[in-house]
Amino acid sequence: MLPFKLVRKNLLRRPLRATLTVLSLTVAIFLICFLRTLITTLTAGVEHADSRRLAAMSSTGLFVELPLSYQQKIDAVEGVERTTKFQWFGGYYRSMKGFFAQFAIDGEAMFAMYPECEVSPEQQASFLHTRNGCIVGDALAADSKFDFKLGQTIQINSPLHPTPGNQAWDFVVCGIYHSKSPNFDNRTLFFHWEYFEETLKGEGHPPGVGVYAIRVKPDADIPAVIANVKGLFENGPQRVDCNTEAEFQRQFVTMFGNLPLFVGWIGTGVLIAIFLACVNTMIMSMREQLSEIGILKSLGFTDRSMFGLLIAQSFTLCCVGGALGLLLAWSTQRGVENLLGTSFPGYRILPATFALAAVIAMLLGLFTGLAPAWRVAKLRCVEALRSVD
Amino acid sequence: MLVPITYNLRSLFVRKTSLLLTVFGIGATVAIVSGILALQQGFKTMFVAGGRDDVAVFLRPGANSEGDSQFSRDRGLQLIKNVPEIAVGEHGPEASMEAYLAVLLERSGGGLTNIPLRGVQPATFEIRGDEVKIVEGRNFKPGTDEVIIGKRLVDRIQGCRIGDSVRLNTTPFVVVGVFDHVGSFGGEIWGDLDRFCTTMGRYGPNRVIARLKPGTVIGAADPTKAMFSETPIPPVPGSMADRLRDDPVIPAKVMSEAQYLSAQTVFLTIALISLGAMLGVVMGLAAIFTATNTMLSALAARSREIGILLAMGYRPIPIFLSFLFEAVVLGLIGGVVGCLLALPFNGIRAGTMNFQTFTEMAFAFRVTPFVLIVAVTFSLVLGLLGGAWPAWRAARMRPTQAMRRV
Amino acid sequence: MTSPIVSVHNLTKSYSRGGETMRVLDGLNLQMDEGDFIALMGPSGSGKTTLLNMVGGLDRPDQGDIDVAGDPIAEMSGAELAHWRARTVGFVFQGFNLIPVLTALENVELPLKLTKLSGKERREHAKYALQLVGLTDRMHHRPSQLSGGQEQRVAIARAVVTDPKLILADEPTGDLDRTSASQVLDLLAKLNTELKKTILMVTHDPHAAERARTIVHLDKGQLGRIERNAPAPAAARI
Repeated sequence: MLPFKLVRKNLLRRPLRATLTVLSLTVAIFLICFLRTLITTLTAGVEHADSRRLAAMSSTGLFVELPLSYQQKIDAVEGVERTTKFQWFGGYYRSMKGFFAQFAIDGEAMFAMYPECEVSPEQQASFLHTRNGCIVGDALAADSKFDFKLGQTIQINSPLHPTPGNQAWDFVVCGIYHSKSPNFDNRTLFFHWEYFEETLKGEGHPPGVGVYAIRVKPDADIPAVIANVKGLFENGPQRVDCNTEAEFQRQFVTMFGNLPLFVGWIGTGVLIAIFLACVNTMIMSMREQLSEIGILKSLGFTDRSMFGLLIAQSFTLCCVGGALGLLLAWSTQRGVENLLGTSFPGYRILPATFALAAVIAMLLGLFTGLAPAWRVAKLRCVEALRSVD
Repeated sequence: MLVPITYNLRSLFVRKTSLLLTVFGIGATVAIVSGILALQQGFKTMFVAGGRDDVAVFLRPGANSEGDSQFSRDRGLQLIKNVPEIAVGEHGPEASMEAYLAVLLERSGGGLTNIPLRGVQPATFEIRGDEVKIVEGRNFKPGTDEVIIGKRLVDRIQGCRIGDSVRLNTTPFVVVGVFDHVGSFGGEIWGDLDRFCTTMGRYGPNRVIARLKPGTVIGAADPTKAMFSETPIPPVPGSMADRLRDDPVIPAKVMSEAQYLSAQTVFLTIALISLGAMLGVVMGLAAIFTATNTMLSALAARSREIGILLAMGYRPIPIFLSFLFEAVVLGLIGGVVGCLLALPFNGIRAGTMNFQTFTEMAFAFRVTPFVLIVAVTFSLVLGLLGGAWPAWRAARMRPTQAMRRV
Repeated sequence: MTSPIVSVHNLTKSYSRGGETMRVLDGLNLQMDEGDFIALMGPSGSGKTTLLNMVGGLDRPDQGDIDVAGDPIAEMSGAELAHWRARTVGFVFQGFNLIPVLTALENVELPLKLTKLSGKERREHAKYALQLVGLTDRMHHRPSQLSGGQEQRVAIARAVVTDPKLILADEPTGDLDRTSASQVLDLLAKLNTELKKTILMVTHDPHAAERARTIVHLDKGQLGRIERNAPAPAAARI
């Protein structure tokens, strides 16, 4: 049948060339994983959204705050089990290099409504009993830029919400949380609404709420709840838009506009570049093997088997390169996540992405070998033997 | 004593398939890096265009952008009275209060986006002068529920034509005109300051802008540097900025509009340049490997030629240089191909959220000379690095070895 | 009696291949006078190409001395040898002598680029050399457009263009048909008799060897018998 030993030996005939090609593939497959993950990270929120949670925000946009009085009214809507509030704090640690997400929340309500946020009971209790306590995501705490430790008092400056004396805000790290789901990111800081409101009392204008998160009862009619919530505030003071959490996340993603498309183009470009590079290598090897192929054919090996030989060579090369690329992507996940930092949190490569990359590597293996394999299959014995490169 | 370059140039073109594949491989890499750079240049030039040195922007102390800042109406007025450097025109001080908000609107192709809303006073138009032109319809009447739309929004966003109605909270505002501005205002919706504030429940403007008397020095620290510095960077001592920072009544952070605008796209610039650099390095490595492979293969095929050259008396260093030269030319051709692939992007409109200000930025790709220079330099470096090892190998060949190879 | 232009003394060279060491040249002694035309013959593995490479400064012996045109080349460094080769020897190899992407004229010019001649002077010399080999009408053709014999003649033109003291030819007629081979050998003989060029030629073709003045046989790395030829028929023509 196919001389498989020949496949291996041919590939290793020029080890440097094979190595360089494999390395190019490694790099390309890694990039494809990375680019694809940028997109899946963006949409992670959509896919893992909780089906029983809704989000209510101002219909004009997140820039506008909703009055505190809304919470009670929303609670009173039929089908609503519980409501909690989030307000974007907009602060940074030390300088804008240390910019990350912080929210003022109802501590107890949030833990009840977001089981994805996992905190040990002692830390939870400590947080709830400390006025200016906060909990931080484990990735944030581990990031060397922040290095937050339990019990540490940290200063956060907020250009959006300066304290009356224009000082930084003090928070005590009472707990470190771990996120169990891709839609709840692990680089955020949560602190108490009361502390937020009290500190800003001096400003004269009570702070408003950016988003109300609503959990509906298990048997609730979600479209009805949404319609009712919207209807409550149709005439103001702030009109409200209410959506399922999935829809809210999806809308958020659409705001990025062309960016996902753009990333897709880059991925295509990478694929094309690597395809060309591999074809280049395969053609070069093929040229050198011509006289050998002639000999094999003269010995009685069929055209088809020679075709298979070349395809097997390119397939092997691409699979090795692909496997290394996947390994590289997997092992550098944490590193890349830290690099992306707080501007793009939640970088996690999904199994589906690994599968996609693997399939791409295999397809590359098949297609890059096609042209040389075809040439070799069609080659007449005599030509092949006569060829000197 | 150098090997004639006709030899290298002509040899490059002998194996056309190999040349094409390598050149397009390098070209694809260069095109991608150029594309990203063109994106960054696009929004940078758009945003920074129209930023004036004679216009001052006053924000609340500690604010990094107008979105962070807030004044009450009274304090805004007091601030204007407090600053003698503001030029005085026939209608009074050339100063205007502005509110900055955003409204969620739908894009023409689907999807939502935050469009910047600017509530302005008539003085804004005086300060802007000819920079802001009404190109269709008319300007809004102060104190009414009318708005004008920036030209860049008209086709990109649904419901942004003259006669359409834009709903802000509970109040519909009628679009009565389209205006154009060379910079970022061309992607905004403008209306009356007070009507916007009332509708949105805001208690005052976000910022004050003013035209300053000629020759005024603001003395503000570079806002970009200040944002990333762990210790605050003070303004020039004794300057206007210094004085206002410590003002006991109405403290304010002041800088020139040019300074302000250049700091608004910093994060996006960093993000894109990092992405571009990362892709450049990673794809560049693959391109280098391809170039090395191609050159090694060419070397193998031409080893007898090298043997002949050595036999004749050509020395290793000229041979090294000649192969390096060949690789660099290879890179250069790839770079040119990459530029040609990137050029069609010039002028293509794009829009994305500037996550620093959380609002939509509509701009166009700009393939500037800077982009082309970076692209070509990058490709030369790729060629150089890719050809280094093969050229070294070529130079180390011994004549008898080289001649013996088949 | 002129002093010999090539003087080889106790030349020894071994090669290792696949773990085995073979002694290719074994204490060889040889002398060539100026104006000589020597054909080196012997079975494959006898070391004739190795000897040629040594005399041409392309390879170095393990032991022994080589003096060519008064230069002790066995002691020279690589850089010195390169410089020496450019001045002193001209090579003609078996097949594939020319750079495929350069024209005949450019190929002949190549060695001159290592000298201090101006572009114009180089071209003049190259054209003259091509005239000598009778290929002026083909000077702008690339090797692919020339026949095997023509290629070899261009190679010879290149070998003489720097006016070297010694011409070294390794199986120059190996790949050629009878007629072309004859033309090439005529040329070499002419160079020897009319232009007084010293030629050392390796060949296994007895017809080629006949055209030389002296045939030296090599066997197992040592000198065998030496035959003196009658002057080549072509040279007898006055």
